[in-house]
Amino acid sequence: MCVWRMVRHTTFSLADNDYNKNALRGVTEVSEMVEEGYNMRQLAKLSLILIMLASAVSSWAQTAFTVDAPAITALGQPFRVEFTIDAEPDANSLEAPAFEGFDIIAGPSVSTGHSIQFINGKQTTSYSRTYTYVLMPNVAGKYTIGAASIKVEGKKYSTQPQAIEVIAEKSNAAERTTNSGRKNPESQIGKDDILLRLKISDTELYKGESLRASLVLYTRANIDNLEDLSLPSFDGFWSQELSFDNTPSREEYNGRIYETYKITELLLSPQQSGAITIPSATLTAIARVVVQDNRFDPFFGGGQVYRVPRTLKSDPVTIRVKEFPAGAPATFNGAVGRFKLSSVMPSPEIKSNSADQIEVTISGNGNLKFISAPTISLPESFEQYDTKIVDNIKVSAMDTSGSITYTYPFVARSAGEFTIEPLRFSYFDPTTGEYNTLATEPFTIKVLDDGTSANTTAVERYTNYGSTMRQLDRDIRFIHIGKMPQRSASLFMFTPIYWLIVVVIIAIFIVVYVLLNKRIRDNRNIVARRMKHADKVAIQRLRTAEHYMNDGNRHAFYEELLRALWGYISDKFNIPVSNLTKERIREELYRRNVSSALAEEFCEIISSSEEAQYSPSSEGEMSEAYTRAIDVMTKIEGAIKR
Amino acid sequence: MRGIYNYMIATIVGVLAMTTPITSHAADATTTAAACWQEGIKAYENRQYGEAVEAFEKIVALGEASSEVYYNLANAYFKLGQSNNTTSRPFASGELGKAILNYHRAIKYNPAMADARYNLELAVDYTNDTESIPQSFITTLWHGLRNMTTSNGWAVTSLVMLAMTLILVMMYLLSANIILRKVGFFAAIVVAICFVIVSALAISSRRALINDNRAVVVCNDTTPVHASPDSASKIVRQPSQGVTIRISRSHGEWTEIIFADGEMGWIRESMIEKI
Repeated sequence: MCVWRMVRHTTFSLADNDYNKNALRGVTEVSEMVEEGYNMRQLAKLSLILIMLASAVSSWAQTAFTVDAPAITALGQPFRVEFTIDAEPDANSLEAPAFEGFDIIAGPSVSTGHSIQFINGKQTTSYSRTYTYVLMPNVAGKYTIGAASIKVEGKKYSTQPQAIEVIAEKSNAAERTTNSGRKNPESQIGKDDILLRLKISDTELYKGESLRASLVLYTRANIDNLEDLSLPSFDGFWSQELSFDNTPSREEYNGRIYETYKITELLLSPQQSGAITIPSATLTAIARVVVQDNRFDPFFGGGQVYRVPRTLKSDPVTIRVKEFPAGAPATFNGAVGRFKLSSVMPSPEIKSNSADQIEVTISGNGNLKFISAPTISLPESFEQYDTKIVDNIKVSAMDTSGSITYTYPFVARSAGEFTIEPLRFSYFDPTTGEYNTLATEPFTIKVLDDGTSANTTAVERYTNYGSTMRQLDRDIRFIHIGKMPQRSASLFMFTPIYWLIVVVIIAIFIVVYVLLNKRIRDNRNIVARRMKHADKVAIQRLRTAEHYMNDGNRHAFYEELLRALWGYISDKFNIPVSNLTKERIREELYRRNVSSALAEEFCEIISSSEEAQYSPSSEGEMSEAYTRAIDVMTKIEGAIKR
Repeated sequence: MRGIYNYMIATIVGVLAMTTPITSHAADATTTAAACWQEGIKAYENRQYGEAVEAFEKIVALGEASSEVYYNLANAYFKLGQSNNTTSRPFASGELGKAILNYHRAIKYNPAMADARYNLELAVDYTNDTESIPQSFITTLWHGLRNMTTSNGWAVTSLVMLAMTLILVMMYLLSANIILRKVGFFAAIVVAICFVIVSALAISSRRALINDNRAVVVCNDTTPVHASPDSASKIVRQPSQGVTIRISRSHGEWTEIIFADGEMGWIRESMIEKI
């Protein structure tokens, strides 16, 4: 895998013979690499390119002069610095920088590449010339390779200065000697020569934040193939695979330099708080080991190539997921990151029964995928429909960013002026550790009557607005205001004052009763006596009448007779004479179960007596009236008593 | 109509209270309390619930409290607890317990206060109070009737009933008219029965006021209730602030309480406050 990087150099002419003895070990290293490149397939490609070279005529739209050197290298190990120009340079115009701190053990070797491609009838040509230096670092430290410059058709191009770190590798020399001494291919690869590491961008973060996890193969050997990759389960995380740059690079780890290959890269977002451990990932790497054979010169393909499998296991990684701090606003819904809120409000004047919408966009970096739609409170008479959600989220190596647009469609049913409450969205900013709340501007909407609302029937209104007024929310009732009320009175029941009032009421009753008792009793006695003696009084009056009859005083006789009759009823029934009429007499007699014939007779006597009082009549009539009156009164007396 | 009646009762009771001599000190207290009352209302309207609580508490401390003062104080406590934004949790410093306590007090001094009952019912929803044992229909009816007015209201009503009974008896005795006598006789019987019932209500209401052993849990958070007066004993319940209980007996710093559902336990005396 590490090999094909070098293949693009077409020739490898070691131009100068200024090797010195120090560099010899480095050269073997280089020759090894060259050997890798001379693989049959590659050779075929190279020859093809060489043939095409002849016909290559090209002009370059843009010329680039670049430098390629490792960022890190080990002390005592030669490395290559390549300057590449993609246009034909002027002869001998290369001005190489002074490689301070390094010994030039080879170079500049020049290689030229030229290719012509026909793709769908289109011809593209490319040209490149590479100047390669092989350098040997002398002392550990940080160095800078200065700018190289070259001229193309008189124009000068320069490379960027390149920083190189030289480190002193641990146990480097010892390993080298053992390598050359042994024939066992297994032992050619040390324990730490191939490693698998799960690299985490952040080990402590808030729930909802995201981290980057990359599985990286570290190797000091040549890897032929990778097999049986098993990724750990990312339990407790939401994970998303990222596209990544799979160019190998060099990295220092534990004081040694490794070639690193990214195997996979994921964006992880913890969904729970606490410590979460990501278990090991396993991978089998097959290393290619060349065991040198003394019989052949290694430069000419001498030596045996072995494939050595090595099972690798990454160390488990523990990530501490922090809980959100206290004091979350009510509208906080788990959004973590940095967001912006924008809204598109409906037109400020709409007609009733027409549809419109409110559009709210949340944009920024963070866990956009886990944001739930903020709730909007529309006026009661607005019919709200399902919220439409459109997201435009990009997952990059750093985080997820983009925007989500929520569309709240509604139909305004009744006319009037309404205020749409601000829509609030809260998020947690992990960089500041604070909650932020964003709100849209309050918005006033005027709904104009479209003329149909008057025609809607009760049934339609019923279905439109619901049957009754809805209880939206409850709160305690307001305090009592106004004048300060009187202090709560002390208990009144059974206090001396209570008893006093009771006694006073009863005393008043008794006094009034006693005062009136006599009158009551008297009243009662008079009534009783009169009732009892009604007939006696009547008889007395009848005697007086009889006396007048015998005297022949007709007027006085009838007067006394009538008085006896009226008086009898008055006394008997305790009705004043002034209140009496014949009708009343009939009524009273009837109530006392006296036959109507008798009552009629009684009234008839009164009538005839009243007539006779002022008209001339005989003696016989008087005595007849007298006997009849006695007879009727006796009968009535008998009837009442019964 | 009822308002006028209540006003009449208040006036009668007030006039009776006037017979007790009022010192100049008491008059001062009334003036201060009236100032506090206006101050508290203003603070409440400006959403400065902390100040409102202070003002109304001062009236209570002056001994000038009425059911309205307790009601306003309870409202101020409730709003203070809800609006406290310094902590994430509402009622963090026991405001709910205080609010419920004062709603109970308002209702105690004026059982006919509908606003206080409404707010109390709302506040109780925030507690973990248990369902009370359902009472019989007769008891509910009796309590409903009793809570129509205060004990004093019933007492005055009973006196009025007594006077009416005697007037009707007099009418029966004095009237010569048989119809008036009959009306007087039967009306006297009806009013006399009413008098007995109203007197019973007045006595019952008075007893409920005097023998009130109810208390409210006032604490910041849930508080443990132990099986015996010993902190090492088992915790039987953990009532939240605002739970209403009845006090059974005391033992040192411990009080035996009875929950609404009849369960009993011991709680530290400082955790509860009598209504």
